[in-house]
Parts: sequence; C-alpha cells; structure tokens
Amino acid sequence: METPDDRRYSSDHEWALADGSRVRVGITDYAQDALGDVVFVDLPAVGKAVQAGDVLGEVESTKSVSEVYAPVAGTVVAVNGGVADAPEKLNRDPYGDGWLCELEVADTSVLGGLLDAAAYRALTES
Amino acid sequence: MDDEAPRRSPLHDAHLALGARMVPFGGWEMPLAYEGTIAEHRACRSAAVAFDVSHLGTVRVEGHEAFGLLQRTLTNDLRRVAPGRAQYTHLLAEDGSVLDDLIVWWLAEDRFDVMPNASNTARVRAAIGGEDTTASRAVVAVQGPQARELLAPVAPGAAAVGRFHVAPFEWRGAPCMAAGTGYTGEDGVECAVPAEVALEFWEAVLGAGVVAAGLGARDTLRLEAGLPLHGHELGPGITPLQANLGWVIGWDKGDFRGRAALEAERRTGPSRRLWGLLADGRQPPREGSSVHAAAEAAEAAEAGTAAPAGTARTVGTVSSGNFSPMLERGIALAFLDAGTSEGDRVVVALRGRALPATVVPPRFWPPRAAPGASPAVASEPSAESEPSAPSASTAAVAGAVPSDREGPA
Repeated sequence: METPDDRRYSSDHEWALADGSRVRVGITDYAQDALGDVVFVDLPAVGKAVQAGDVLGEVESTKSVSEVYAPVAGTVVAVNGGVADAPEKLNRDPYGDGWLCELEVADTSVLGGLLDAAAYRALTES
Repeated sequence: MDDEAPRRSPLHDAHLALGARMVPFGGWEMPLAYEGTIAEHRACRSAAVAFDVSHLGTVRVEGHEAFGLLQRTLTNDLRRVAPGRAQYTHLLAEDGSVLDDLIVWWLAEDRFDVMPNASNTARVRAAIGGEDTTASRAVVAVQGPQARELLAPVAPGAAAVGRFHVAPFEWRGAPCMAAGTGYTGEDGVECAVPAEVALEFWEAVLGAGVVAAGLGARDTLRLEAGLPLHGHELGPGITPLQANLGWVIGWDKGDFRGRAALEAERRTGPSRRLWGLLADGRQPPREGSSVHAAAEAAEAAEAGTAAPAGTARTVGTVSSGNFSPMLERGIALAFLDAGTSEGDRVVVALRGRALPATVVPPRFWPPRAAPGASPAVASEPSAESEPSAPSASTAAVAGAVPSDREGPA
C-alpha cells in the first residue's frame, strides 16, 4: 500500500495536497483497494462551499458505495472530469490521475490538523 | 449458520496463495476477486475463467423411488430429459414461492445429483432426502468462449460434454463428473472432482491458461446474462411465473408442491414480472431501490412538490443492480407491475437521487441483434436457466414461453 509523504491524510481515507491556497483532494490507495473496481464517481459542483467533514461526493465500486468527505473547509474550484469518464483511473493511480477535486482554502494552516503520512500508515496498518 | 465457523472449499489454500479477497457467502468463506472483478468478468466474455463453486450443495438421491420423488417434489418434468442430462428446476413452497432453484444431474437410471444453492442445501434435503455429498468434492466451473478449448488438454472427457449433458470423466485416475452447465451466459463446463485431487485439478486448469475468477465476477456475469439469483429474483413471495421462468414448470406432469398456487396465478396472470433496467449512465441501480414512472416523476419535479422519485407512482422494486462491464452502463433486474412495457421510461430512487433508466427485456448480454441482423443468431438458445425475455406484448406469460430451453436442440 502506498502512502506518499508529500501530502496529508484524513482518518476517512482522503488525501489533501496543497499548492498555495489550492488543495487537491482524492482517496487513498488503501481506500481504493478496499473498494475494489470503481465504476462510478459522483463529483461535487464547482462553486460548492464545504466545511471539513461535509460530503464531497461518492465513489462506487462493483460491490459497495463510499462517501467522500471534505478533509478541510473550502470552495470547490475544479473537478476531475477524467475520473468521472474513466473511474478505473481511481484504482490505477489514486494519488495522480485519480484525483477528485480541488478546493480553494482560505486558511491552509488547517492542513496541519490532518494526519501526516506516517500517522496515516500507522492507522491503516493497525 | 452465522454462529458457526464458515466452511472452506478444498481449494481454500489455493485462493489464498493467489491473493484472493475472501468473503463470507452462504455459510462459506469464498473468493470475491483475485485480480479484480471487472478484469475477471471481461476474461469470461472473451476467453475463459474458472470459478470455485464448491459451496453449491450436492445431494445424492438414488434408488428406484428417486425418479418419482423428484417428479412429485420439483417443478420441471424429468420426462423432458433422460439419464446423462442436466435439468434446471425449482423447489416451491405451497404458496408457489421459490424455496430454491437447482440443477439436477441425472447420472444414471436410478441415480441423481441434486445441486441446491449453498444456503438452501438443508431445506432441499428436508424435501427430497438423499445424502449430502458436498464435502467430498470440489466443483470447478470453467466458463467462457475458450473454456472447452483450454480445458481439453487437461480433461478431454470433461471438455467434450454436451450442453446440459452430464458425463463421467477420469482425472489422474480419480472418478469425476462434468456437466455442460454454468451461470455466466457463456458456454462452459462444471467439473465435480474428489476433494483429494481438487487442488491439482484447479492448478492444471489455471496452468492451461484459464483465469481464476471470484464471486464478484460471477454475480456481474449472471446479472448481465439475466440469470436469477436466489434471495434476489427468487425467494419468499416470488413465484417462477413472476420471474419469467414458466418454462421450468412441468404443467403436463402430475401434482408437485406449489402447483395449485401456480395454477391460480397462471389464470389471473402475475401482478408483477421481472424486467431489465438499463440506466442512462454508469451509476448502478441497487437492490431494494424503488422504481417510479418517469413522466410522473418529471411532473412532480416541475410542480416542485418534493423529491421527484418519491412523489411519482411506484411501479416496482430493484432485485439486483450493478455495473455492466460490457455495456459500461448501470443495469438492474426489477419486479415491475403488470402493464409495464419494453421501452417505458422510469426513474430509480437511489439514495435521494433519481436515476433515469429504460425498461428492457431482462437479459443484457449477449447484445440483441440489431434490426435486420440474422434472426438465427438472436434466437439460438445459448444459456442454461435463461429466463425468456418478456415479449413486447406482455399478454401471454405462463403458457407461451419455450417449454424446453434447457438443452441443445
């Protein structure tokens, strides 16, 4: 299971990668593996404002449905149309091509409240 | 059953070695997927896969009473077939509900292997007696257009068994049995091999280039092929007529359990029937979701009354739904009210959303021949327990469906 060190993680198995005030969000390798083959991704509307913990969308596999939660508060400024058209990208490359959306975040210091890679690894390996 | 440790197949260690994700199923611990459900599904449609279906029950019924007992208890008429053949049939409750759907392997004059669903073995034995030989063997289902070709070097006798025939074969000296049956909509062979040699047999089959496939793919394959699953399309409150399986009923034989209830339903026509739903997009409708008339849903939405799907007339319920790897669309089987027609537009209420879909005959694969294509291809009986698609005119139900589609012509 991969857990890159360049980003932060939620205990609900989302990742958050900041580039200035823009935070890219996806689900972890652990989450995609647990879901199995992803067949449908429901993405939020651009412009939607979310609080940390709000439902951002849904990821559905052949066997189950899982909600995706906003790891931090922000406004949706971009969604990955590529993963909606080809959800298998989420299985193949959860930290790259399989990203879900980008949030414009007013206060990026809140990322410090998320898990770092080591803490997330510890969570999923326990 | 829940309190007991799950039963394990003779092939359990092989599944673990292949990295399978194991899940509880019908009192057993069985592989859900190895490489991935969609890859396994596509391998079955294009080449060949092997499923471990050892969780299916085997009940051996023998003796000079056996034929009469099965004729009186199960719905289908054994006189349509003969020793050396397999027949799809139902066990009903007195109210016509399907207690189990099963395959009978008619091995010899006075010897039958009856194969119930895993969790129904005890209830089937209560009705027909017999000896439960499930633990003595593994059953490997090799399915797909290349199934016979790839199986031939491993077990030529098994590879040659006719569609809906059964035949003994030997594997490394062990007595085995093959049946030309399956649950995928593809050609294939199911091989019952003694538990002691099962692991070697499985490895030989995979060594021949057949891909291991799990229960996940088995479910998406059977759904795409429109084959019913007990507990979903068959079960308490569901009769064979509602499931479009009138052809499993031997109306011309004498009494069998549930006959009176079925005759009453046949006279009035079932109040609901099984249909297919083809979603407009990729999102799968799911079991238990309500189905609503689309026009009324749209009106309700315009009037701004409430969530559209909740206010429009309910026309039925989804019994199974998933993603079709071949069509790349959401598909479902659903029981819909009498009066539903092919082409009707509906919406499925799914977690607060309205999923648009079209009512289609309950078989998604193989794709139906386009208008003008050869009718010979479209009409060829191609799978085992195929529900015949409801005709566009839904008038005739019980009597007009093919009476013997379970065997090769």
